[in-house]
Formats: sequence, structure tokens, C-alpha cells
Amino acid sequence: MAQLAVATPAVGRLRSSNARSRRIVDRIATAALWIASSLVVLLLLLFIGYEFVRGASAISWHFLTGSPTAGEAGGGIGPLIFNSFYILILTLLFTVPISVCAGMFLQEYAVGGRFKAIVQFSAESLATVPSIVMGLFGLLVFVSAFHWHFTAIGGALTLTLLNLPAMMRVTQEALAGVPATYREASMGLGATKWQTVLKVILPSAIGPLTTGVVLVSGRIFGETAALIYTAGASVSYGRSAYDLNPFHTAETLAVGLYQVHREALVPDVDRIANGSALVLLVMVLVFNVIARVVGRQLTVRFTGKA
Amino acid sequence: MVAVRANKAHRDERIALVVLMSCSGVFVIAIALILGFLAFNGTRLFWGDHYSPIAFLFGTNWDGFGGSYGAAPFILGSLVATGMAILIGGPLGVAIGVFFSELAPKRVASAFKPAIEVLVGIPSVVYGWLGLTLLVPAIATVFHLPDGDGLLAAGIVLSIMILPTVISLSEDALKVVPNSMREGSAALGATRWETITKVLIPSASSGIAVAVILGIARAIGETLAVQLVLGNAAIIPTSLLQPASALTSEIVMDMGDAPDGSGFKHALFAMAFLLLLISMGLIILIRFALRRRT
Amino acid sequence: MMTESQSVPLESLANKMKIEDLNIFYGSFQAMKHANLDVPDRHVMALIGPSGCGKSTFLRALNRMHDLTPGTRVEGKVTLDGIDIYAPTIDPVTVRHRIGMVFQRPNPFPKSIFENVVYGPKIHGETNGKRLAEIAEKSLRAAALWDEVKDRLNRSALDLSGGQQQRLCIARVLAVEPEVILMDEPASALDPIATSKIEDLIGELKKDYTVIIVTHSMQQAARISDFTSFFLLGELIEVGTTSDIFTRPKDKRTEDYITGRYG
Repeated sequence: MAQLAVATPAVGRLRSSNARSRRIVDRIATAALWIASSLVVLLLLLFIGYEFVRGASAISWHFLTGSPTAGEAGGGIGPLIFNSFYILILTLLFTVPISVCAGMFLQEYAVGGRFKAIVQFSAESLATVPSIVMGLFGLLVFVSAFHWHFTAIGGALTLTLLNLPAMMRVTQEALAGVPATYREASMGLGATKWQTVLKVILPSAIGPLTTGVVLVSGRIFGETAALIYTAGASVSYGRSAYDLNPFHTAETLAVGLYQVHREALVPDVDRIANGSALVLLVMVLVFNVIARVVGRQLTVRFTGKA
Repeated sequence: MVAVRANKAHRDERIALVVLMSCSGVFVIAIALILGFLAFNGTRLFWGDHYSPIAFLFGTNWDGFGGSYGAAPFILGSLVATGMAILIGGPLGVAIGVFFSELAPKRVASAFKPAIEVLVGIPSVVYGWLGLTLLVPAIATVFHLPDGDGLLAAGIVLSIMILPTVISLSEDALKVVPNSMREGSAALGATRWETITKVLIPSASSGIAVAVILGIARAIGETLAVQLVLGNAAIIPTSLLQPASALTSEIVMDMGDAPDGSGFKHALFAMAFLLLLISMGLIILIRFALRRRT
Repeated sequence: MMTESQSVPLESLANKMKIEDLNIFYGSFQAMKHANLDVPDRHVMALIGPSGCGKSTFLRALNRMHDLTPGTRVEGKVTLDGIDIYAPTIDPVTVRHRIGMVFQRPNPFPKSIFENVVYGPKIHGETNGKRLAEIAEKSLRAAALWDEVKDRLNRSALDLSGGQQQRLCIARVLAVEPEVILMDEPASALDPIATSKIEDLIGELKKDYTVIIVTHSMQQAARISDFTSFFLLGELIEVGTTSDIFTRPKDKRTEDYITGRYG
């Protein structure tokens, strides 16, 4: 075996030649990262906080429940909030079953194989469709081809298409988090795959699944581009009443924020816009908090571990 | 008795399989239909109205009602705004992701993680409104202009919008790298910065790339936020501080006004189809490249 | 197996490292109490003891790896050639340049074999491509891995077997030309054939390096080490030549461990 000549530094020195400059680089880089990160995160939070303050003055019971006006100041956003929730629930009714079933299929049943690859590729491609383009698809199909014109259900179906990939990914991740030992134990006791999935795996995954669904709901609540030309943003027709008919126009809060600025028909555009923005921000926070809390509670409930 | 139960269980199993496969099939049908409808309506300008694709893609004169559909100003606007967003938001997002994963004390990092998640969920219309009412006036003041809208405002707003996504995903990608890498590098005499740049980031590169790709995806498809701050002038931008336009903002602005069956409307659909192709093509291409590399 | 140093008392050899009154705390838990040890130059010192006795904790203090875990406190003196490595003026980066470490599980970087080996030298300032290639070959030969990988230096290190990966990690450490090599159970994750290759390698390495090796296998310690230290419950109980420790232990606790009264 070849002998190595070992380089011994001079006795008493404990340095390698470039250690000092490397230490300086390390210190500078560390400081730069600290500064950049703190600055950016603080600025972002300040940005948001400022909007909170600005919008707070608009908030009142009348604002939150009253209807928009046709041209005077003092309108409210009540029906818009209602429409946002209405469309959200409609969307979830379609999205969740389809996505969860597809997610279950891909995660638990299809092991390799061409169908799985095609579905996976389709889901990834679907996820790349920009929201405005999806809105145009909804326009072509639901508004024009089906002759529905602007409807809540048209918007909900469009949003369904938009969120199917995200919801499926949520399902897949939730299912992947379930330990393999659960499946083995269940199958080992003679259960069929479906029984295993339904009675063992799904309950274990219910926590992360719910968290994901609520988080996606938060995004659905704030969606605008896909709804403008499907659920409508007409001047006054679809936004002045609490309407449960899915085949009527339904302008949501997010769309309303865009519209009130664009139309500029009322004198207090800024007040309404800031108030709407504040409500949207609060809803995002609420959805986030609910997602975590409910998710954790469900996990404890169904699996017994915190 | 057991046999009867077993038969029912097996029948349930078959039904379940059919249902699950059908739901999976929805994805395939959906993307096929979307591509089909958009392709049909998006190319109608060319085979129906006989407008030249070259004139559409490279023409600089856009006059919807007047019959001139040169979409170059919008294409350029989209590319510049997205490019700015990635150039600013990409490295910054990764750097901050590095910060949270490697440098920040545990308590600070876990306090900020929910804050970042909230930022991801903020609707684009809110970002657009904030950009319009806070950023655009600020730019006007700083640069001594009557109006601050334009590509600079759009670029900044877009980079802010993609930051939380890039930060969060980069951080996740770095966290997955096993600690034995950090120890091995340190034991060879590397400084922490050297470990980060020479070992950790290369190891997490595919995850970081996904983070950046998703950032690009969000930026390209972003409609409301850019429409509110771009100024919407259908001309080729010569400066970042002039009103400009993008594919998304033009579509959302004029789709309601363009008459059905007109060349105007078909041109807008052509822009939408182009947007779809760019968005889909870019992301799928990069994903394929990534998969080949790992 | 008798080594030539069995007849030379520990005290008369030149010390490469000297550990004085070492105390290590994880939070409020004291994992090492008042340890004192002289490590002779260019010999193999084995650290043995039952699991949880603190031998790995002790080892990691010798190249300041505890600096990387917040909440860990090291008190006492650890000197290399007379210089205290914990002195405030000493940069831990240079400490780890001169005192290398091989870990229990092989941890090659997800890079090519070549890039793994030259990682250390590149960081410490070597940029010349020819020199790097020479260093790589020298280190891989010294780690008894050259013949197996010389034709695929640009392939990923992760394609190697466990034993090969561990020898690659050793080559990686050798490439920075340390004087002391710390080994934390380097063969425990490997099969017997790979283990014996590593043990042969250690036998060669001690000609040029000081080796301190933690091992849970008494047989391994007896095979490859010149000196042995026995740890128990965070204390260094006894130190001596390997043959003394195994045939004439002075402390009853040492004797109990050697004879297998606890594992």
C-alpha cells in the first residue's frame, strides 16, 4: 500500500491558509440572509397590516350585510359575501368527491401502469391552466354552449376544474402519510382493498385531508379571474339579492372588489374596496386557522394521537 | 355466511373500482376538452378570419375594434413582467427559504411558517388592489412621474406574489436533505455557508427548481394583479415606467366588450390559447427535463 | 493479536492530543464527567463501553462537532499538539481540517466519486485541476478504493456499495490531509467482508495518522487497536494498552464489561 507523505503544518499554528477569508464570507453571507429575510417578511406583514387598518373604517354591520347601491355612497357587500360562500360550497360539492376518489385510485390502486401515468399527466397539465383561460373555457361551455349565461353553477363548475389537481394532490399527500403497516394489517385480516381504504386508510388521513380541503377552500374563496366571465360581473343584476338559485348570476366578493374599482359608479369606491379587501384578508386568516385547528382535532379524534 | 359476505365485499370492490377510475378519468377528459375548445376557438382567427399568424404574433399594432390584431405588445409585456418576477422573486425566495431552513433558530422559523402560509393564500385581487393603491403612487413619487403604473409595478407585485410559494417550497426541499450531509461537510472543515452552497442547495436542487417553476406558473397566469397596476396601454413598452399591457390583463379587460363572432373576440381567444400553450409547455418541458436529470 | 506497542507503556509515547477534565452537557444532562485522556501519536486508540456510555459524545468533542448542536455545552481542555482547540481564538473550521471524522453511516454527497473526494481540498483553496486529480488518486489509493473506482470517477457516489461508500468517506477525509482521524463505529453498518477491509485499512492508516475509533465490538477493539479506553455512564473508567485492558483490567467495572456481564 502506498505510503502517504503527510503535510504537517508548523508546530503551534492551527490555521489553514484561506480560513480567514472563508470565515469572513460566511459571516457576511449569514448577515445578508438575516437582513434580507427579516426585511422582506416584515415588509410583507406591514403591507398586509396597513390594509387592515385602512379597511377597518369601512366595516360596519350595514356594510357586511347590506346590498350594494346603484350609484350612491354607503353600499354594502352582504350579497357578495353570500355569493362567495355559495359558490364555494357548490364548488366543493363537485371537487371533493371527484378529487378524493381519483386520489384514492392513484395512491392505493393503480401501481404503475399506463392509465395511472395518463391520469397523473392530465392532472399536472390541468394544473398549468391559468385561471383566466379556465374562465374562458367556462365561458365557451357553460355560458355559450349550454346557453346558461352567467350562473353560479357555471362558475362553480369552472372553479371545480381549476381546483381538481390541487385537491387531488392534497388527497394523495394525506393518503401517503398513512403508515404502510395499517394497510398490511388490514389486508392481512382478509379485508378487501376497498374496505381497507374506506375503513382504515381514509379515517387515518382525515386530518391532513381536511386541512388541505380547507386551505384550498381559502383559495377558491378569493378566486376572481375564472369567475368574471362565468358567474358574472354584471352591473347590478346578480349582486343585489341573497339568491339561492344556482342558475342566476352571482358576483362574489373578490370579483366585486375588482368591479367596484373598474366601474367606478359609486363615489366611495375606495371605502368599499378597502373594506372588501379587509374582509377577504380576514377570511384567508380564518380559513388558515380553521384548517389547522380542525385538522389537528380530527387527527386526534380518528387516530388517537396528537 | 362468510361466502355471502365475501361476495358482497367483492362486488363492492368492483363498484368502487369503477367509481374511482371514472373520477380519475374526469381529469383526462377535462384537459382534453379544455385543449380542444381553446384550440378550436383560439385558432379561429387564422382559419376562420384568415388573419396571418405571423401578423398576430409579431405585429405591434393592436386595435381591437379596428381589425388590427398585432399581439406583440401583450406577449412582450407578459414576458417582461414574468421575467422580472422570477429574477427578483426567485433568488430572493430561495435565499429566504435557506434562511428559514438553515439559519433561523427553531422558534423563529416555526413562528414564521404559518405567516408564510397565510401570504400564499391571499387572493390576487387583493395584491392588485394593494399594488394599485400603495405601490403605484410610491413609484410615481420616487420617479417623479404623474402615474406609477407599468411593468415595474407589475414586476414588483408579481415577485411579491410568488415569494411565499418559493420560500415555502425551497424551505421544504432543504429540510428533506438528511443531516448526515451537513455533518459530513462540517467534519471536512467547511463553513456553514460553504455547506449550504456546495452541498445542501445542490442536493435540494430538484425541489428548489419545482419551487421556482411554480413561481413562474403563478406569475405567467396572473391576471387581476397585473391588470390593476399595468396601466393597460396596448403598445410596445419602451420603459418599465410606462403603461403597458400583458396577455392576461388584455383578455380580462376586453373579453366582455368584444362582440361575439368578431375578429376581436377571436383574437382574444387566440391570445388565451397562446397563454395556455406557453404556460403548459413551459412547465411540462421543465418537469420533463428535471425528471431526466434525477 | 499482539501489536508491537503492547510492551511500550502509554506514558512514554508522544501525545498527539490531550484531553483534560472534559465535561459535556446536553442541556442540563451531563453526558461526560471529568474525562482525562492522553492520545499517543500515530497509534490506534479504541473507545469502548456499553451503549449510552458517552463514547460517541466524547469523540465528537474532539473535533468540535458539538458546536453544531445548539444546547450542547463543552467544558474543559482538548489540545492538539499542545494547542487548546476550544480556545476562543481558534476557528472550528481549521480544527476540522486537522482532525477528520468518519461517521457510522456512510454519508457521501450526491455528487460524483471524484467530486466527493476533492470536496475538502477545493474548499481549503486548491484549484489546480491536476493537483486535485493527484490528491484524488492518492486518497483513493490510501483508502484501498482506487482500483475499484478508477474507471468511474465521474459516476455518482451513491451507486457504490455500503462498504465502498464508507471507504470513499475515508478517502474524502484523507484528502484534506488531517493528522488525526476520528471514527465513530465506522463498520457497524457494513457486512463482515466490508468490515474486515476497513479494519485492514485502519492498520495501514495508523502508520501516518493518529486514529481514535469508537467501537461497540470488543473483538474489533482487540483486533485493531494499540490502546483502549473504557467508558461507562459518562465516565472514562480506565485506559491502557489493549492487551492490558483485555487481560489485566485494573477496575472491576472494566472487568465486568470485558467478561460480558453487561453488553
